[in-house]
Amino acid sequence: MITITINDKEITLDQPMSVLEASRQAGIKIPTLCNHEILKPYGGCRLCVVEVERMPRLQNSCTLIAADGMVVKTESDVISEVRRGILEFLLINHPLDCPYCDKAGECELQDLVNKYGATAGRYKEEKRKVPESRKDQIFARNMERCVACTRCVRMCHDVQGSSSIAMIGRGGHTRMEPFTAESFNCEYCGNCLTVCPVGAILSRLNMHSFRPWQVDKEVETVCSYCGVGCSLIAQVRDDSIKRVIPKLGLGVNKGLLCSRGRFGYEYIGSEERLKTPLVKKDGELVQSTWSEALGIVADKLTEISKVNSGSSIAGIASSRCSNEDNYVFQKFMRMACGTNNIDSVSRTGFAAAQKYFEDLLGQGITGNMVDGLKHSETILVLGGDPTNVNPVLGLSIRQAARDGANIVVIGNAGGLEKFKTVQVVPHVFEEAEVLESLLLAVSKEKGVRGERPFVDKELRVLADRAPKTDVEGFEEAKKALLESGSTSIVMGMDLVQRTDGHRLLFTVAGLTYLLEARLYLLCERPNEQGLIDAGCVPEMLPGGRPINISDFRAKFEAEWNGTLPENDGLTILEMIEGARNHTIKAMYVMGENPAFNLPDSQSVKDALSGLDFLVVQDIFLTETAEMADVVLPALGWTEKAGTYTNLERRIQLQKKVVEQTGGMEDWRIIAELSNKMGYAMNYSETEDIMREIARVSPLYRDLSYNEIAQGNCLWPYHGEPLRGEVNEVPGMHDVDKEYNADFYLAVEKPLFHSGTLSRRSEALMKIYPEPLLKVGGSTAAKIGLQDGDRVQFTTSSGTIEALVAIDDSIKDNRVYYSNNFRSGGVFSVMKFNIDKVTNAPGIEGCEVRIKKL
Amino acid sequence: MENFLLRNIDNPNSADIGEYEKSGGYKNLTRALGMEAAEVLEEVKASGLRGRGGAGFPTFMKWNFAKADPKFPKYLLCNADEGEPGTFKDRPILEKNPHLLIEGMAISGYVLGAEHGYIYLRGEYPAAKDILEAAIKQAYEKNLLGDNILGKGFNFSLAVHQGAGAYICGEETALIESLEGKKGQPRTKPPFPVNVGVWDMPTIVNNVETLSNLPLIMEIGGEAYSKIGSEECPGPKLFCVSGFVEKPGVYELPMGTNLKDIIYKHCGGIKNGGKLKAVIPGGISTPVFPADGIDCAMDFVAVPKAGSMLGSGAVIVMDESVCMVKVTYRALKFFEHESCGKCVPCREGTDWLRKILERIENGFGREGDIELLLDVVKVMIGRTFCPLGDGAAGVVTAMIKHFRNEFEEHISTRKCKLSEAN
Repeated sequence: MITITINDKEITLDQPMSVLEASRQAGIKIPTLCNHEILKPYGGCRLCVVEVERMPRLQNSCTLIAADGMVVKTESDVISEVRRGILEFLLINHPLDCPYCDKAGECELQDLVNKYGATAGRYKEEKRKVPESRKDQIFARNMERCVACTRCVRMCHDVQGSSSIAMIGRGGHTRMEPFTAESFNCEYCGNCLTVCPVGAILSRLNMHSFRPWQVDKEVETVCSYCGVGCSLIAQVRDDSIKRVIPKLGLGVNKGLLCSRGRFGYEYIGSEERLKTPLVKKDGELVQSTWSEALGIVADKLTEISKVNSGSSIAGIASSRCSNEDNYVFQKFMRMACGTNNIDSVSRTGFAAAQKYFEDLLGQGITGNMVDGLKHSETILVLGGDPTNVNPVLGLSIRQAARDGANIVVIGNAGGLEKFKTVQVVPHVFEEAEVLESLLLAVSKEKGVRGERPFVDKELRVLADRAPKTDVEGFEEAKKALLESGSTSIVMGMDLVQRTDGHRLLFTVAGLTYLLEARLYLLCERPNEQGLIDAGCVPEMLPGGRPINISDFRAKFEAEWNGTLPENDGLTILEMIEGARNHTIKAMYVMGENPAFNLPDSQSVKDALSGLDFLVVQDIFLTETAEMADVVLPALGWTEKAGTYTNLERRIQLQKKVVEQTGGMEDWRIIAELSNKMGYAMNYSETEDIMREIARVSPLYRDLSYNEIAQGNCLWPYHGEPLRGEVNEVPGMHDVDKEYNADFYLAVEKPLFHSGTLSRRSEALMKIYPEPLLKVGGSTAAKIGLQDGDRVQFTTSSGTIEALVAIDDSIKDNRVYYSNNFRSGGVFSVMKFNIDKVTNAPGIEGCEVRIKKL
Repeated sequence: MENFLLRNIDNPNSADIGEYEKSGGYKNLTRALGMEAAEVLEEVKASGLRGRGGAGFPTFMKWNFAKADPKFPKYLLCNADEGEPGTFKDRPILEKNPHLLIEGMAISGYVLGAEHGYIYLRGEYPAAKDILEAAIKQAYEKNLLGDNILGKGFNFSLAVHQGAGAYICGEETALIESLEGKKGQPRTKPPFPVNVGVWDMPTIVNNVETLSNLPLIMEIGGEAYSKIGSEECPGPKLFCVSGFVEKPGVYELPMGTNLKDIIYKHCGGIKNGGKLKAVIPGGISTPVFPADGIDCAMDFVAVPKAGSMLGSGAVIVMDESVCMVKVTYRALKFFEHESCGKCVPCREGTDWLRKILERIENGFGREGDIELLLDVVKVMIGRTFCPLGDGAAGVVTAMIKHFRNEFEEHISTRKCKLSEAN
């Protein structure tokens, strides 16, 4: 225990820290410029000086470690004089263009000068001139204003791990510069903006559009892009979001954001937003009214359910919609339409993987705290690049690496290039051999645990089969896993979208089980977990209650005042097949774009065109909406309240920030329809829905918005036990195929994009304006491709023209293309086979020919 | 006293290992390797050797700290980033007597349990680089470096790392940053390099001259060494004398030799019979002595008492023809250029001081400029991250203290009389 006295206040510290941190903890403010809570001490600005008894001169409180018995004074005439002097120094070359500078009003230098500075300066010499650089699309860099505190550089290097900027020059010529000197060409997380104390780096998105004191309101909400669920503050002026900023210490992200979260908000105010319902008349979608559109939908669905039975109707829910939306949606499908055909695009990844893991290892196995990653000794990363899919989760992996953890990467993960300890690159699509060998090796060392009979049985089968691999780095990877006392496994969805996906998932489950590891599933959308929890899966009711267990059925039927449909529901790909062979007559799509987001999208379109009736409820006229009979405009993120459940199963509030544009909340549209169809839904606000969820779902038991608002609501809430029983899992299927083609096409998941939303964000489109074919260096060399070459690439189902980008972090002969841009997503040229165990589409083995133009 | 550090200096082949061995070279390494490391350390303690880089820190003490740290590997760095104006004392060792340094480093490495040594060499000493590298190669060939040196089971590797021209890299933590491949800027202390140095391992940084004293300590023993020169900081010292003396150059003299004797006895007095005006005793960053202040023993104790510092022992002598305002301006131009930019007082202070001084020297001085200079200096002193800024501020303070009239004259007459005369 250390006790120190600061300004006559006695402070007890439970761990060693600097005098500055101790003061901060005690609520005593010491001025600083170079110090920042997220960053390590630097000691450059010399403003945080304090007097310490029995020490000869003033001390820098940021680098002075508090010692027991220290007596500190943070304000005195001498200290003020020093601060005045330092501030005068800082201003001599500072342009003093506050009236023009966007930072004015929230500028730390301005505030400090206001408090400690002299009223007039004595500097009569010429100031240093450095022209402002606006070579970058996103950042304006003004090095005259820079105080060389290096916070941006330290943020970029020590926290973000991007290392894209550096301080160059000496003395007064010290300034920050990106390595390319022109555009930043970085991860565009914008975390440098958060820490810049002055107007040296500013966002060009909102340049000169408002002053900090002109913000009408600031709303704390949750990001709409991925499953991490970062907390952020939306700043609003004139009913439009001017800026999105993080808040120190808040939420999962604790003051950090990624490019999508920080700069991608503009889609909400896009000109392309749907403002009125649309109804197809004579083959054309025309503007309609709510009463006409809802009437058509209600009549048509009622008719089809009567004539063809409810099981000819299918519903696609959305991992971009809230828990409340999804809960109401599945209730509507089950109770008003009479069908269990409810699924989502999440089936192609997260939902399929999670079901497999929960069946094998129990409910909640994939719910682990992102923060826990930092404390791992070894992190196994496979099936995708966490730093792209879930960027802020990726930062925890980078942090763990800095703290000495072993990062074992299997396959490609460009964002961890500088952080990995060992990388194992299996021969293309032969991950199973490598992972099974790894599992076998671990199992030999760890022995049998005897808790999960199926896993133990399959491990014995595996031992008999004795898989082998001679892939480079295998031994090192094995050693890192076996010697680790605390292991995390971070799995991306590339391993799920495979015909042999269940085999790969089994190895991951086996490793999790044997190593007692924390398992994290990368989660591309904000509410994939909440979607499952809300019951938007064919086989489960809200709270993960299996629909085929009569006790659960009875309970829900009593709560919902009706009878649940008997038939087994279809998964999403089965629904598409149903549409193709006309067993599915009508489809209701809420906030999803299956005609673009499912593999082999052309054939999905063909199937959907065979429907009798298609309703799409969305905020944009998507590829699917264009085919619909009725399009209902919904409200988007920041226009409505609700909750999201992130990948760690943290339930968070999404708040209304701006007024609506003419659409309606998803749940309200559905409730109105339901009422029209004769199944009563009486909700007047989302909280009513949450009250019902809290009553029926054991996972969200007794949960209220008040409690959610206080943060740290991770389910199971109020200690309801997790489902104990483990389901039967089908055994392994052999998938034997040789992969000898020159190149295989794979799906790029770029840091800067997320489909329908991001392509309406001007900022993200500036950063990554058109789809690129990413090719590994050695692959490119083989066929003489260079950065920027225009090529045509052709698969068995189509051809796309694109520019080539060489990416040396791709170590195998996969070439990557994204499924985000309107001008042809990669799914339009990829066929799939279904993994019979997970029901996810296997898209591996897509041979591609590349022709230079 | 017979030359030790500059032994063989007049032999054109002095950098060759054969010549070095002829005059007893590497016998001291053999002697050291025949003793326990702790015994050698005792000799270093008995010798009273103090670091020759400028601070005069007791070498034994620094070594003891590093030895006490249980982490391995430990690193031995030789600071050969001799960059301060007026300083060229290490150059003759580097270029003429490289094996003395190599032998000294091998002995030191043995004492410290350090198996890796680096010589961080000033970027502007390209000749020294070639000479050192050739000498290191010779030493490897004779197994005086490398694995199992002379069959005694001691391994010591040595490499030269060339700086890129920053004065700040002479500061030990900036040197370490630079050696690691980063921008040369000082680190926060504590932790000190003896515990957390290069690649976060215990690191000893010693000056070329300090390490070159090790063979002598082994040759004559710590006890005898401690009898050379001043009682509190014994040993031979290299003084590099420049400016207005008849015989400028590097002189090896006992520590504590009187500055007056250095100038008048050893260097033949003021050039062309001129009149002494001022002496900077230890390199440009040390406060100036006026002509009547030079009766001073040159060691780490007496010079501070007299109001300056021994620094690197770089004596800069100026006669009456020299304008002190111009000297101050020139010094600040150097410091401004070399300020690393890490801390505000040094970065902005040196800039401001230089601009004012430039104005005064060029006849654009204003009433109140002297007070402003002193005010600026006040914000800097004791506030800068490392001694660079303190040194810059100290130069201005001392110059104004001793030559205020010259500043005033510049301002009132709006010109520099001496510059015009020259």
